[in-house]
Amino acid sequence: MPDAFLPELLQPLVQALVQGTLLGGYYAIMAVGLSLMVGVVRFINLAHGDMAVLGALLVITLTQGLGLPIFAAILIMLPVMALAGYGMHALLFERAMRGGFLLPILVTIGLGAALQNSMFGLWGSNTRSLGADIGALSWASWTLPGGVLVGQLPVLVCLCAVLVIGSLHLVLRHTRLGRAIKATSTDAEAAELCGVDARRARRAASAIAVGLAALAGVFLAMRGQITPYSGPAQLIFAFEAVVIGGLGSVWGTLVGGIVLGISQSLGGLVSNQASLLTGHLVFLAVLLLRLFREWTAAHGGWRASVRAWTTLHRGRFARRKGEKA
Amino acid sequence: MTLRRLETTRRSFLAGGAGLAAGALAGFPMPALAKNRPVRVGIALPRTGPLALFAEHLPFVMDQVERATKYTVNVGGSDRLVELVIKDTQSSPNRASQVALELILDEGVDVILASGTPETTNPVSDQCELNGMPCLTTEAPLEPYFLGRKGDPAVGFEWTNHFYFSGTQAGGAILEIFGQVETNGVVGALWPNDSDGNTFAQIYPPVLAERGMTLSDPGRFDMPLASYSAAVAKFKADGVEIVHGIIPPPEFTTFYNEAIQQNFIPKVLYAGKTSAFPSALETFGSRAHRLVTEVPWGPQFPYTSPITGQTAAEVVEEYHAASGRQWNSQLGFKLAMFEVLFAGLARIEDLDDPQSVQKAISSISDDTVVGRVDFSKGPFPNTAVTPIAGGQWLEGTDFPLRLAITENTFAPDVAIEAKTLPMLSA
Repeated sequence: MPDAFLPELLQPLVQALVQGTLLGGYYAIMAVGLSLMVGVVRFINLAHGDMAVLGALLVITLTQGLGLPIFAAILIMLPVMALAGYGMHALLFERAMRGGFLLPILVTIGLGAALQNSMFGLWGSNTRSLGADIGALSWASWTLPGGVLVGQLPVLVCLCAVLVIGSLHLVLRHTRLGRAIKATSTDAEAAELCGVDARRARRAASAIAVGLAALAGVFLAMRGQITPYSGPAQLIFAFEAVVIGGLGSVWGTLVGGIVLGISQSLGGLVSNQASLLTGHLVFLAVLLLRLFREWTAAHGGWRASVRAWTTLHRGRFARRKGEKA
Repeated sequence: MTLRRLETTRRSFLAGGAGLAAGALAGFPMPALAKNRPVRVGIALPRTGPLALFAEHLPFVMDQVERATKYTVNVGGSDRLVELVIKDTQSSPNRASQVALELILDEGVDVILASGTPETTNPVSDQCELNGMPCLTTEAPLEPYFLGRKGDPAVGFEWTNHFYFSGTQAGGAILEIFGQVETNGVVGALWPNDSDGNTFAQIYPPVLAERGMTLSDPGRFDMPLASYSAAVAKFKADGVEIVHGIIPPPEFTTFYNEAIQQNFIPKVLYAGKTSAFPSALETFGSRAHRLVTEVPWGPQFPYTSPITGQTAAEVVEEYHAASGRQWNSQLGFKLAMFEVLFAGLARIEDLDDPQSVQKAISSISDDTVVGRVDFSKGPFPNTAVTPIAGGQWLEGTDFPLRLAITENTFAPDVAIEAKTLPMLSA
């Protein structure tokens, strides 16, 4: 439809940018807990997506089984999941981390499998959704100037992401617990010397991470449908958002989520298949760029590094020539 | 929930079997049972994992069969007990292959049943073919079953038998439904980058062109796709009025919510793998009304179960009363699997000769609750094609949705109840 406000050619582009940004908000909520875990506890919780699904299933049971309003159900579920995160860290991860770098990752793989199949045992394999509990919100939309339609739910999710990440930022900066978490993430040993209880800080970070994962799971169940096996696919997007935004950075995760969302929706303009691919390519590009920057920093700036690299290879090339002769 | 139900049923079934055996030992009038060894039937089903919905109806159907037959069948002139050995494929093709081998080598079964998508039927069938074990499978369309196993239509397989609808006919039924609604003939495709999506992308475009329809195809995509906004934008730009998707429920929900957000409501909306399952559509409330689907089986099918003597409608009614959940076509095919098994067992001449067992199963031509199963007529050797109708979901009374049959080209026995209606716009 022609529109005075936006030229027709630009409309799909604007639409893609808007939808991508909104999608990025959801990714950011899913990713910020993971980012906190990587930054503070220093390991990747591969069961993060399964925790999200568990949170969503709890809310579904509270609303559809017990008839609670959805907002109350979320308020009940969040502390339960946070407590679960705290307990899991105290009982599982701490022990596993004593076994070296690889063991905690293996433990989370096992935890993920155990969670998936326990959820299947308890809730069955049917796809479930919170769509029916939020009524028209799952498909209602607002029209922006220029004929751009935005879904109300994605807008709410995105605002919620900004709110969650903003408050997390404030908590980390201005509370005792937050400062303890930050200190632990910068240098755990030095923090302990200054009287910070690093163990408690890690447990708290784990509690926040699991709580936020569960919140993201609730949004996933509102956007679409979930099964006990939906978790691992979500983990990939969360992980990409964390890497794009910078490991352990809270605001960076929001940026990372939005960059991932926009790359996917811009890729989708080309073809459906390009959508996920573009997201993955941006992730790889950022990853390579980060590695390159780290490498150049270790060699005295990129100019010096390039010079060093070329001379090194010229030498090697010449030697090989000499050998042939 | 499902697990617990299965456990109780299996236990009660085993208890029933033990009771029967004890009765025979105590000299009650069942001497034949004590003298003859039982028939051992292996069943490979995805009871856990993403395909577990294919095992959902098994406890109910097993209770039905037990009530009607007491798991006793006359084989070669004497009554024998039927023992079931149920193994879980965990929704994995590799595991399915492994449990089939366990059934053959460790459990010493006489015949194997398997059901629920090519991921289950194909590995189990391949294992049976290799080991000379008679095998009966269902709930995978004939083409992915037969061609997916690299079958040669001129030769076929020696040990494996399969019945279900044909994918080609199902596609044809959907096209007939598309034709019933007044549209501009522009079809939007949601075909993912999996075996089904790629098959449709190869086969459907020329068929659509033949019917004077145009295609709007945003291309193959990998699932889960976080957002379908790009596809929706393309469909809007191309003026799509019919959507043909082959996507599972979580994907369909994401797509449909985004489509409604963007004010895009096609006149006809079909999603294979989703729209046949009312439980996956209930979340949409009235937005699910008038979605179209293929119908492999339903209460409208005018067939009777040779085991329980109930009509399809009576089976559905009893299932609703027993489970409180709405029927889907898997209920009929689970029951039919046992019907074909019992029809086959009754024809066996020598139970100890696998050749004789295979001959008995492959030679059946019997009426079942899903229609006539005749392995000699199928499009491929040892396969039988069952009828496939088309329908549309309307507002229901007992459950939120009710299916109306609107198309019967490939199921002429099933009566048409209504004409396909266009979707309601916003």
